[in-house]
Amino acid sequence: MTSGGALAGPFENEVTLSFEVNGRRVTRRGPGHLSLLRWLRDLVGVTDPKYGCGEGVCGSCAVQVDGQVVSSCIVLAAQVDGAKIETASGMCGDDGSLSGLQQAFHEHHAAQCGFCTPGMLMAAASLLEDGRHRSRDEIREALHGNLCRCTGYGPILDAIEAAQAGREATGPRAGSETKLVAG
Amino acid sequence: MFVKPFRYERAEDLAHACEILRSHGDGAKAIAGGQSLMPMLNTGLLDCEVLVDISHIDLEDVGVRDGYLELGGLVRHARLASDSRVANSQPLIATAARHVGNARVRNRGTLGGSLAHADPSAELPLVMTAIGAKVLASNGSEVREIAAEELATSFLSTQLAEDELVVAVRVPVLGEGWGWSFNEITRRLGDFAVAAVAVLLRTAEGKVLEARVAAGAVGKTPIRLGGVEAALSGASRDELAERAQRLDEVDPPSDSNASAAYRKKVLGVLVRRSLLEAFDRAGVGESGAGGADAAESGAGESGSGESTDGSGRGEGQ
Repeated sequence: MTSGGALAGPFENEVTLSFEVNGRRVTRRGPGHLSLLRWLRDLVGVTDPKYGCGEGVCGSCAVQVDGQVVSSCIVLAAQVDGAKIETASGMCGDDGSLSGLQQAFHEHHAAQCGFCTPGMLMAAASLLEDGRHRSRDEIREALHGNLCRCTGYGPILDAIEAAQAGREATGPRAGSETKLVAG
Repeated sequence: MFVKPFRYERAEDLAHACEILRSHGDGAKAIAGGQSLMPMLNTGLLDCEVLVDISHIDLEDVGVRDGYLELGGLVRHARLASDSRVANSQPLIATAARHVGNARVRNRGTLGGSLAHADPSAELPLVMTAIGAKVLASNGSEVREIAAEELATSFLSTQLAEDELVVAVRVPVLGEGWGWSFNEITRRLGDFAVAAVAVLLRTAEGKVLEARVAAGAVGKTPIRLGGVEAALSGASRDELAERAQRLDEVDPPSDSNASAAYRKKVLGVLVRRSLLEAFDRAGVGESGAGGADAAESGAGESGSGESTDGSGRGEGQ
């Protein structure tokens, strides 16, 4: 609904914004009324954050802005000009390898249609950031702002618990969501 | 998400923000965290010609001074929920902030934004009404003080002028002998409340001395439950459940979340639970919860507030 096609300018309300998106500096000119989600998808071409509800409720557009998870559909891009943005695809290693968390989602079938998955990954990464052990109930509660209409949530909880256990055993791996943690 | 285009203007400071708002009148809106405004723009409930970004103004201070906790208008919910000075000075605020939306909303949403948006089911306007907070509003040159319970005039409406912004909120530090409680019922975690209750209550020798009881989501604004408050004076713990039902003046709305009758029923339950919880906290003399574990109730660790426990905490404060 939101992602179709590049935006054709010029617009009367244009602004120039510069972000560091998954480690890459990107400067674009575009309309000043765009949400961060539309800026990322339509101007930068980073399409892993998804447009779900447009109201900040479903979590499928979740990204990190300067280390804090937000709903990019209800953050005005111009407000966070200059910020460091991390999305789920940024968790991958430079060679495309999966992070520990992504690998756990894969192994536990935590994605069916996959629409909520980038947001789920961002929520999970933010939750596990501080290294404190979370019970399954705590994980469930922390994910209450992320909706999934396929899995019934069980496999997602399994995956996050497994990723947590993996970290506790070995520490977060390089080329993983540690990039987010460091942010 | 076909948002009607608007012009973005970043305010450099407070005076600048108020000036832009003044010059555009009705056509301009201020955006802080945007967690209510952006959904309204996205869904077409609202449009504007100019959006004035006030989020870069320096209004993020949290401080305890002279028996008062002062919170800048741009303090975000996540900070209210985690800052030890807030938890130690007014645990009701820290607890209510943890109930706001979800983690993403709390990372962006601001105290001033929530108060100015004036959603009757929102947590922070409710607790500020219960506490008797003073809202400081500025038009860039003059600051005026508004009692929190008088800020909202109706659903999503306040007495703020077009060029006025909430710059700070001042609340008395919770004094000795006071207990507190916040409870709400939502259909799902993070949803707007069906009903919400905030209580501050002071006891001595097993009886209620003073109580402030407020409810959200049961009217056009957060409301004080005057009938309950009046009935509480001198009540023992065993009498709280009955006094909690003095809700004659409450006339809740029906909407997609709940019917009026259901709202009123659960309101009674919430008031009872909250009174009991606040009463027990007052008796123990503890003011911390959710891990805040303040050893002594009242003033936080910073400033000179320690010695003023209770002095600033009275009717109408």
